[in-house]
Amino acid sequence: MSIVDERSAPADQPEEPTNRPDATHRLREWLARPYVRPILTMFVVFCLLVIPIGWLVVFFMNMSGAPASDVMSEIEKTILVFTIVSAPLMAITLTIIVYSLVGWGRVTGDEPPMQESPAIRSNATGTYLWIGATSLLAAFLVIWGLLALANITASSYGSIPSNQQPNAAKAIDINVTGQQWVWTFEYPDQGKISSDVLVVPIDTPIYFNVTSVDVIHSFWVVELGVKIDANPGAITNTGVTPNKLGTFNIRCAELCGMHHAYMETQIQVVTQDQFDSWVREMGGKRTV
Amino acid sequence: MTITAVIHEQQAVPQPKQHGKPGGLLRHTNIVTGVVLGLILAVVTYVIGGLLVPWGTENSNFLQVGESALVAATYTAWVIGFMIGIGAFAGPIRWWLGHDLTHADAQYLAGKGQGRGKYWKYTTDHKVVGIQYLVMAMVLLGLGGLLAMLIRTELGVTWAEVFDPNFYNSIIGTHGIVMVIAMIIVVAGPLGNFIMPLMIGARDMAFPRLNALSFWLLFAAVPPLASNLLLGGIRDGWTVYQPLGTQAPVGMVGYQICIITFAFSTGIAGVNLITTIVTMRARGMTWNRVPIFVIGILSAAIMGLVWFPMYQYSQVLALSDFAFGSAFFIPQNGGSVWLYENLFWLLGHPEVYVIVIPATAALMELMVVFLRKPLFSYKIAIAGFAGVVGISSLVWVHHMYMTGWSPAAGYPFMLSTELISIPFGFLVLVMLGTIWRGKVWTRLPMMCVYAMIWNKIVGGITGVYLSDVPVDQYMHGGMFVVAHFHFMLMGAGLFGAMGAIAYWFPKMTGRMLNERIGSIGFWVSFFAFQLTFGSMFVAGLQGQPRRVLQFDNAFDVSNWLSTIGAYAIGIGMLIFLYAVITSWRSNVIAPANPWGAKTLEWQTATPVPLENFPVLPVVTSDPYGYGVPDPYLTIEKQLTDEDQDAMVGAR
Repeated sequence: MSIVDERSAPADQPEEPTNRPDATHRLREWLARPYVRPILTMFVVFCLLVIPIGWLVVFFMNMSGAPASDVMSEIEKTILVFTIVSAPLMAITLTIIVYSLVGWGRVTGDEPPMQESPAIRSNATGTYLWIGATSLLAAFLVIWGLLALANITASSYGSIPSNQQPNAAKAIDINVTGQQWVWTFEYPDQGKISSDVLVVPIDTPIYFNVTSVDVIHSFWVVELGVKIDANPGAITNTGVTPNKLGTFNIRCAELCGMHHAYMETQIQVVTQDQFDSWVREMGGKRTV
Repeated sequence: MTITAVIHEQQAVPQPKQHGKPGGLLRHTNIVTGVVLGLILAVVTYVIGGLLVPWGTENSNFLQVGESALVAATYTAWVIGFMIGIGAFAGPIRWWLGHDLTHADAQYLAGKGQGRGKYWKYTTDHKVVGIQYLVMAMVLLGLGGLLAMLIRTELGVTWAEVFDPNFYNSIIGTHGIVMVIAMIIVVAGPLGNFIMPLMIGARDMAFPRLNALSFWLLFAAVPPLASNLLLGGIRDGWTVYQPLGTQAPVGMVGYQICIITFAFSTGIAGVNLITTIVTMRARGMTWNRVPIFVIGILSAAIMGLVWFPMYQYSQVLALSDFAFGSAFFIPQNGGSVWLYENLFWLLGHPEVYVIVIPATAALMELMVVFLRKPLFSYKIAIAGFAGVVGISSLVWVHHMYMTGWSPAAGYPFMLSTELISIPFGFLVLVMLGTIWRGKVWTRLPMMCVYAMIWNKIVGGITGVYLSDVPVDQYMHGGMFVVAHFHFMLMGAGLFGAMGAIAYWFPKMTGRMLNERIGSIGFWVSFFAFQLTFGSMFVAGLQGQPRRVLQFDNAFDVSNWLSTIGAYAIGIGMLIFLYAVITSWRSNVIAPANPWGAKTLEWQTATPVPLENFPVLPVVTSDPYGYGVPDPYLTIEKQLTDEDQDAMVGAR
């Protein structure tokens, strides 16, 4: 006596066993299929090959200089983490593409192949796994991104000093003005001195009030991870606390006309003493 | 209660009276009359308008006062004159005069008995319009590709300026917009018009004359854009951010008139495609039996129809600023630069999906044929398209993270942007699931599927970086962004389109695409593409801003590699083009169904007769009935039986 339902399946859908073996049994059966182990091995290998790209990316970013602020460190960390968590997705795609070309058989020739492949119209387990994995990945990226954004926003506006200690140094306001095709930096608290090179003291919160007199520019301090558009008719704000001495690049990141490519200058991060003497040299007042 | 069929008696419908020969005035109009009348009207407008312009006075931007208004009027006159000359207004006038179209008229308009001349006329047959779109897309891709070679030449020559900076900026702007237009039409134009009606078993589009109108509006829109390089160029990138746009010379008007006209074209095409898909499907083709390519076209048409007006309006307002001194986007006079950016990106982002989705859907449609397997999870595919269409309208601000417009908007738009990766992942799942365990017939269209999945996953993952505000703070406005969207638009869009065109080439032209030469061209392009944009990612990570013609020496090596790769792409594309042209001109006739496919377009004869099907088909299942029962499922069932026996025995 058979208690298996022997009615034929509806024409549109693959036949569904009415009484399936339990999950571990099915998993063992699946693992025993000839293509499964090569695929899993390839997946692991590709994961191991893809994950190091994260450090490669950071290496490229550091070619012009390591991060010179917490904001930039946070950005690099985010990129590294994103690459690592995306690696399995990349690896599974690559695995299926490559295995398909070598493992499940190939047909050549001009005539349509006579051999048909298995009619798999759906697979609940695979679908749930994929949707679950991509949703989890997206959720992780969103949460990481939101936290990182809150973090760098706080960091930019000085509520978290770079050394995580209450900062004695008084923040410096700098008015940044873009015009075709130069940057001008004005220090309102230091006697309104102005300069076309940005000079700032280390470990001091810097606030930028950014605007433009003609078209849209974008104020980009590369190694400090600062970027904000300079819009005519509006003042945009951002800030950073530099934590590394040295000279870094400022570029314009928004097409602004003929000499957009040449609209670049430098930022010098110096010690407080050097900054004070620079201010005196420029004819400004010493920082209070 | 029983329902019985009510059979209406066929009644003789009064036919309209035939006025003159079939076709009437349209017998005498073609592209030549269109161009001639367009040029005459443009010249007349320019001369008469020139009398009204106060020559010699300059405005604050050192531009001739009134000149841009004059150029705008001239371009508008060209568009109107061309449309009159090609015969676009003949229909409404006949209707106004009471001369309704007779059957003979309609057949003449559809190109009956006109030989090759019908491709140069206001022809309503969807197959003719499809071929016209195909040629137009290839011309635009050629123009955009040529400009891309110039860009890479400038960037490869790191030791000198090859071009004048203003000319260089014009090249990048023109390359951008030409390629965007070409990519929007390259799948939805030729295949949406030629193949889609066949695929749903219709005799033509729902509105054949609007179909002709949409193509010839596109045709009229191209000369204003192409001529901008002669009138000083658009020096502002394809986005033409204001107020930089107002500093441009009068070539800017060409861009604006082009976009305004092209938006009419896409709107009309969108209405036509949607109506056709909703109302003209064959009997029995219920929504769960519609081929997936049709769903893709429907999705793209909906997005284009809803969002293109935003872009069009941004250009109407920008033209008003430029030509008539209004100040929608000029902050010095009270306008807002952020208003422009919002209007622009409201289309600007959905447009990416308008490009990628038809290509994706086309490859889904063809991969089942080469794998002899049903489409994996049709419903997930539909959900993916629906999700992308829905969320695509809520992500545009991720282009504006760094504008300072609203720093707090970064949070919700980061959420929506990363959310869209989930339905987009559905589409990848469908493609991977279809490949899973399939025995693959290695032909060129199928190779495009592999290439596209790879490019899409690279573009998708780098897109996730850019959707993140902190990362975007480093990447925005840099070469990384350029590499990312080329992976999406070219890597997924264009390579997908090449596969789709290779697949439907036998149906559209009646010839097989030369497999060997086509494959060589394709693979050369593909690997060169990886080199070009792979090293562009590196330049972006190192910190190279986009749209620059000179840069720090640190970026030299990656730019040299990119340039070498770009030339190789150019060579690969020329080989592919050679394959297309020689195959098209060859004498070897393709069979009606060379791939053994089950969708309706392959069931009719090649060349496709004027009314597509001798008898309209009736659909009884979806077109994915490939494959044999899964052998493993049979084993599983046997195991079940044994288990049952064991259980019975134990008892």
